[in-house]
Amino acid sequence: MTGLAAPPPDSRATTGEIMIEAQDVSKVFGSVRALDSVNISVPRGTVLALLGHNGAGKTTLVGVLTAALPLTSGRAAVAGFDVARQPQEIRRRIGLTGQFASVDGQLSGRDNLLLIARLLGAGRRAAQARADELLELFALGEVATRRARTYSGGLRRRLDLAASLVGRPEVIFLDEPTTGLDPSSRLNLWEIVENLVADGTTVLLTTQYLDEADRLADSIAVLSAGSVIASGTAAELKAKVGQRTVTVTLDGQDDPAAAVEALRRASMEPVTGLDNGAIIIPIGASKEIAAVIRALDRVGIEAAELSFGEPSLDDVYLTLAEQPSLLAPLSERPSA
Amino acid sequence: MSTTTTTRTADPIDPAPAAATPPVWHGSSVLLQIRVLTGRSLRALVTDPGVVLFGLLQPVVILVVLTQVFSKMGQPPHFPAGVTYLDFVLPAVLIDNAVQSAVQSGVGLVDDLKNGIVARLRSLPIVPSSLLIARSLANLVRSAVQAVILLALAIGVLGYSPRGGATELAASVGLTLFISWSLGWAFIAAGAWLRRAEPMQNLAVIAILPLMFASSAYIPVADLPAWLAAVAKVNPLTYAIDATRALALGIPGVDAAVPALLFGGAIAVVGATFAVLGFRRPM
Repeated sequence: MTGLAAPPPDSRATTGEIMIEAQDVSKVFGSVRALDSVNISVPRGTVLALLGHNGAGKTTLVGVLTAALPLTSGRAAVAGFDVARQPQEIRRRIGLTGQFASVDGQLSGRDNLLLIARLLGAGRRAAQARADELLELFALGEVATRRARTYSGGLRRRLDLAASLVGRPEVIFLDEPTTGLDPSSRLNLWEIVENLVADGTTVLLTTQYLDEADRLADSIAVLSAGSVIASGTAAELKAKVGQRTVTVTLDGQDDPAAAVEALRRASMEPVTGLDNGAIIIPIGASKEIAAVIRALDRVGIEAAELSFGEPSLDDVYLTLAEQPSLLAPLSERPSA
Repeated sequence: MSTTTTTRTADPIDPAPAAATPPVWHGSSVLLQIRVLTGRSLRALVTDPGVVLFGLLQPVVILVVLTQVFSKMGQPPHFPAGVTYLDFVLPAVLIDNAVQSAVQSGVGLVDDLKNGIVARLRSLPIVPSSLLIARSLANLVRSAVQAVILLALAIGVLGYSPRGGATELAASVGLTLFISWSLGWAFIAAGAWLRRAEPMQNLAVIAILPLMFASSAYIPVADLPAWLAAVAKVNPLTYAIDATRALALGIPGVDAAVPALLFGGAIAVVGATFAVLGFRRPM
């Protein structure tokens, strides 16, 4: 299904209240239309992944939604506040982790968190308590007094995310949060995000990584040249694009050539030639699995192993982002 | 029968939505923001004393080198009577220090823009100008610390004794700090617009060296070649140096403080305005 490995039973994801909303948002820089009538809507306690190439407009959209960039036209609201009219209300309620770690390299990790807590209005003691809490949560205790500029990339990212959580924001924007991280740091960050969402935080995440969107997102919007060219759950997007496949592995004594011949007779297009002798058959609907089995059965071949493959998000991404002109039917948003 | 019902529109852009839950903390006052951010800028002076030492490098070199070189030479004809070269040049060295520190406040802002902290601060509910004011105040403190170190060096090592008296010396240093503060705004504005370290450094070299040398800093204006004297006479730093020098030496010329103060005030107002405008531009 979607990203969350195990949605907790008490998840507040069901309240349906819209925490991030963009209506026909456009942003023009000079002669460049960076965003073109973008519509998104993210219910409380869910994760929307914005998927797109470099330059697709992901960071611009994050800029508009976090009230850092004025929009050219359209309307946008975060936590119920209009980005153009109530930017300070929004800043009180959001956390932002940008593409480049936004921490002060001169200050220690702890002092970075203290600085933000104080600026948010925390008293000295409350600020210290919150900083220590976050240092522990993000396993930064050992490096807490070291200057942030001596941190590794993974540590900086963690500190950055901790910094955006100081004010316990309801909405978090993560702009390519795992770019440049090693696999274990990525996994670590994903778990943190999943925990936040379980607590009811709403997340907008931009990423170039399909596995990240697949794992974390409840819904995905594919952005290309400033437009949302497709959106839906990972499963919906996969169903619309790409090919489902059945992979059949035969017993040693069965003849692969006979199997391929039988499948061709059933108007399928099997592909062979893999190292393990497996045969891959593209299919349309999942019920065609039965047709594969029947075709093989007709010539007395029994599959030793049979597996069903969903198209990956890579297929979705490559098909949609590279050939947006083919996508007319996909550009309507499915009802959220 | 009708109960009072507040109609909640379905429009999510409703300005006062019931949905909004209050944040944990309710924001900080501008004064607190300035205090916290000034403390942050100043922390570098404590954790990284190299910053202060580096800033002192040029004034100290000028102080030591010039006093050693020129004290062995005959004094130029328009030199104030009975004044040693050390007495003469010290106020100019303090001004040089003030100017260097002002440049550093712009460089510091560029560093902030580069290292990501500005991006973080922009996402917080604070007044953006408080960061600029904090930079300016930190510059003032830094300038003062460096001035005290320079004075200690001059008095302790070079045997400087302020002829005008302690109060006059304090007034002289005070005027110097005012100049540092006002020029700081010019460089904060430059940093807010340029946003890159290299052009800032170039600007500092191009603007500062000629301004310091084409002034009354190291030689009386009357002893400069005619064309340089012409430049020095319109150079605002000349007035600042003349005034701080007259105070420190207890000689006439304190009225140069008036154009120096006017110039400083104007630079501060224009600089601060442009700094805010430049800083407001999106990253």
